[in-house]
Amino acid sequence: MATTSNESDSSRKNTDNRENDNKDEQNNMFECNICLDYAKDAVVSVCGHLFCWPCLHQWLETRSSRQVCPVCKAVISKDKVIPIYGRGNTKQEDPRNKVPPRPAGQRTEPDANTGFPGFNFGDGGFHLSFGIGAFPFGFLTSFNFSDRHGVPVGGQLPQDDHYLSKLFLWIAVIFIIWLLLA
Amino acid sequence: MAGKTPSEKRLHKELISLVKEPPPGMVVDVDQAEQNLNVWTINMQGAEGTLYDGEQFQLQFKFGTSYPFESPEVTFVGQNIPVHPHVYSNGHICLSILTDDWSPALSVQSVCLSIISMLSSCKEKKRPPDNSFYIKTCNKNPKKTKWWYHDDKV
Ligand SMILES: [Zn+2]
Ligand SMILES: [Zn+2]
Repeated sequence: MATTSNESDSSRKNTDNRENDNKDEQNNMFECNICLDYAKDAVVSVCGHLFCWPCLHQWLETRSSRQVCPVCKAVISKDKVIPIYGRGNTKQEDPRNKVPPRPAGQRTEPDANTGFPGFNFGDGGFHLSFGIGAFPFGFLTSFNFSDRHGVPVGGQLPQDDHYLSKLFLWIAVIFIIWLLLA
Repeated sequence: MAGKTPSEKRLHKELISLVKEPPPGMVVDVDQAEQNLNVWTINMQGAEGTLYDGEQFQLQFKFGTSYPFESPEVTFVGQNIPVHPHVYSNGHICLSILTDDWSPALSVQSVCLSIISMLSSCKEKKRPPDNSFYIKTCNKNPKKTKWWYHDDKV
């Protein structure tokens, strides 16, 4: 794709370069944190980071299960971004029909929705705590992956994850049955 | 193709700023990147005063069409793959920002800086414990690996 437009690309690069030289110093502040261009249909997250609405929208779609600010990782959502209305900004030439209209300025109540408390596949390695009552299955999680970084998917162990989640499911079922019988 | 796609536009901006203000010890192969904007090679020097002082590495970045919404595929390539507990001998790197923790506000430059700091903070040069198993079974694309990130600060 990119190779088809080599010549024009390199000529354009020069003009881009000059443009950037002028722009860089003053207008960096108003560049979208995603496309690195001057923010169009600008919105700001509650954490204060600026984006084009189309850019941010695409990011929220990409990670719809874990919507975080691209810059500071604060939890964000469509309802919590604030549009910025500058003066004389009335261009109506947005070709991105797929992108819904920018959310309107509004006040929203705090919303404490942080997903599953027990499951956390975050930065700190592999945590899976699986507790019923006062009896967590913590010991079960320590039996593997303790010194392994990567599990190839599609290699020799494609079923590993499935197997594990099935195993946990069965353990839970057995445990519940045991609780009922006891 | 008349205009540039958003992804090409952003790659161009990154290339320009990487050429203009490269992070210390890093040189992007501009000719190659201009030939094909979706594959970049970056020559990287081991930082002074670290275990990798004086070594030369090559990092390869491959960008998909949905960059920067999807992370680039980043691997060490070439003769010298750094010996590091998070770098497999096939060049794959275990670094969370390259998959789960990727964000479109990251860039080639910030990825390079993370990798150089990952190398620089290394206390002992060794391969990951599961290296031989991993390189036998992994996909060519490190993004296809399900990584379990360690919280050890190596
Ligand atoms: Zn943007
Ligand atoms: Zn933020």
